[in-house]
Amino acid sequence: MGGFPVSSELAWREQRGPSEPEAGALALALSSLNFRYGPGTVHIGAPPLLQGLATGVSALDDITGCQGLPRGRISRLTGGSSSGAFELGLALAAAVSRSAAVAIIDFTLGLDPGHVEAYGGELNNCWLVRPRRPEEGWAAARALAKVGVALCLLVAGDCSRLTPRAAPAALLTALSEGDCAGLLLGGRLIPAALKERICLELECWRLNWALAHGDVCGLRLGVQVSRSHLGAPGASCRLQLNFPRPYQLRVGLEELGELTAGEELAGELLQVAGGGGR
Amino acid sequence: MSQPNRRAHLACFTFPHLALVLAGRAHPELGGEPVLVGGQNQGGRQVVVAASPVAWAKGVRPGQEWRRAEVLCPLAVRLEVDRAQVAELRRQARLALASCSPLMEWGDDASAYVDLAGSDPLRPEESSRAAHCGRALQEALGVTPSVGVGPSRFSAWVAAQLAAPGRVRLVPEGKAAEFLASWPVTALPIPPEVGERLIQFGLHTCGDCTAITMVDLQRQFGPDGILLHRLCRGLDSARIDPWREPPPCGVRRVLAGGVEDSESLRFGAAELARGLAQELSRQGRAAGRIRLVLRGEDEPQRPSSADQQTWWGEVAPPTPLATADELMGPLLSLFGRARLLTPVTVVELAAFDLVAPPVTQVGLWQGRAADREVVQRAVDRLHDRFGKGLVWRVEVRPGHPGDVPEERFVWSSR
Repeated sequence: MGGFPVSSELAWREQRGPSEPEAGALALALSSLNFRYGPGTVHIGAPPLLQGLATGVSALDDITGCQGLPRGRISRLTGGSSSGAFELGLALAAAVSRSAAVAIIDFTLGLDPGHVEAYGGELNNCWLVRPRRPEEGWAAARALAKVGVALCLLVAGDCSRLTPRAAPAALLTALSEGDCAGLLLGGRLIPAALKERICLELECWRLNWALAHGDVCGLRLGVQVSRSHLGAPGASCRLQLNFPRPYQLRVGLEELGELTAGEELAGELLQVAGGGGR
Repeated sequence: MSQPNRRAHLACFTFPHLALVLAGRAHPELGGEPVLVGGQNQGGRQVVVAASPVAWAKGVRPGQEWRRAEVLCPLAVRLEVDRAQVAELRRQARLALASCSPLMEWGDDASAYVDLAGSDPLRPEESSRAAHCGRALQEALGVTPSVGVGPSRFSAWVAAQLAAPGRVRLVPEGKAAEFLASWPVTALPIPPEVGERLIQFGLHTCGDCTAITMVDLQRQFGPDGILLHRLCRGLDSARIDPWREPPPCGVRRVLAGGVEDSESLRFGAAELARGLAQELSRQGRAAGRIRLVLRGEDEPQRPSSADQQTWWGEVAPPTPLATADELMGPLLSLFGRARLLTPVTVVELAAFDLVAPPVTQVGLWQGRAADREVVQRAVDRLHDRFGKGLVWRVEVRPGHPGDVPEERFVWSSR
């Protein structure tokens, strides 16, 4: 009797699959949800294990729920001024570019690729898109995501008005097809169509500056999952971002362990006060 | 006059002329025979380029007219010099010496000088450094050079002349005049007529000349008298004109204005490390040894010796270095050891003992990786659709020509 129940279970699933004609309105609803929120939003049974694009920092990978940035989904890094969110995104792109292709969609038209290189990134693996119009940027992001770049970094300015309404959904499909992780940086005013498709939102805030030789050589920042489709939000970690300085032996991200209760409280207070640190 | 204490730090290497070395390789049966290697000089006249010791003993000298040499040594084997082969051998020998020390001056294809001052923690003794250079030269030439170490060019050259091949002869510290005392005045680098007059005065050796004051020598021989005074006491110039050709794998940065602060120089370390890593990556090699050279300003009013203008240091890490991150640590330690006497205007970082880079496994955790050609095809389609200038690839432009990204990087659509 060992193998029989398994085949029986498969047969049961096949009989009740949503692709069957009698599903009717349910199939239509599922298709609509999958289109709106990305393929695999609604599953039969347990959801498949989502693969993550490892960032190389285990503390960060542990809190995302999929051991890295979710592939086929859009993640977002947020934070106030001097929070380190933008630099963290560039450092992650640099880490990925060392062994895989990265597409950088620069809607701001002002990103200096030297930042990626300074964090140890491999510029040979980076494709920098500078769109003259937003739709060009979205089209390029889709095209590059489909052909299999590992990370699609969207450096967004204020694109709330100019983003085509269907663009985020189409990008999500392309990310899923290409098994590519999408990461949105910056952009306080992002369109609702994009905002509701963000699978993982990581909020950053500054803990303190790292000093060496009387100079600021890095930033200690807290990172917390503020929104997640993959699990309960709230997980947090502490990172040190070593700025590219000539005397710096280690450039990029470094783990600092878990947040202490005081640091979490400070972060909460800043959030309540709407302060610049968070 | 008191003899100043000058440390012996200049090494002179003497060896057979390169044309003779090549002749010996091509015709090994001519060992011990009188051999003349000739060629045309700049005026188109046939002259002697090199003469074997047997021919030398008969009075043949480089630069002599060919006919005169034939008269002096009628039984000599006459060969034509192959200048291309000589140039190639010279290049190999220079590279071999330059890999030992950046303060190297190539002589007249029969001698070379190396300033032994500098930082080489593996060889604290100057004699061991000189022997190390000698071995490198021997490997490149295939003949064993004689090595002399002294406080000045002339004393080092005399020591090399007195040393047997494969041996290092040291001029005792502070005793250069005693060392040179028995050297004949006719073998000094002074005009022949001065030498003849010295003989007429009964001054046959350097030791005889040291008994006469500089004022008297100057009164008799003019500027040659001052030179004679210095040569006989080992007080002639210790300065060498270093060979400035860049090493086969290295980066060189010329600083805008002299930099005196070593802390300021460290700010350029990352850029140097990246430059060298790119060069290593281009050659597909890793560095078994790296060398940092800081060259100072040359002030015409206050000439200084090469060791005062230049500082250099080397590090040989336990594992070969290939990336900028790996190079950064040893490079910073070299900057920490740097000793600056004059403002630095040129910084050089060179890699030696190049080996295959250590094998690293990358991207095992990345899963699917995009094929570059597939991505390029997608980019081409985007350019067809939206026009050129949408998707860019950037590459670091060497030399840091500006501050803005458009100047610092080479932007290409492919």
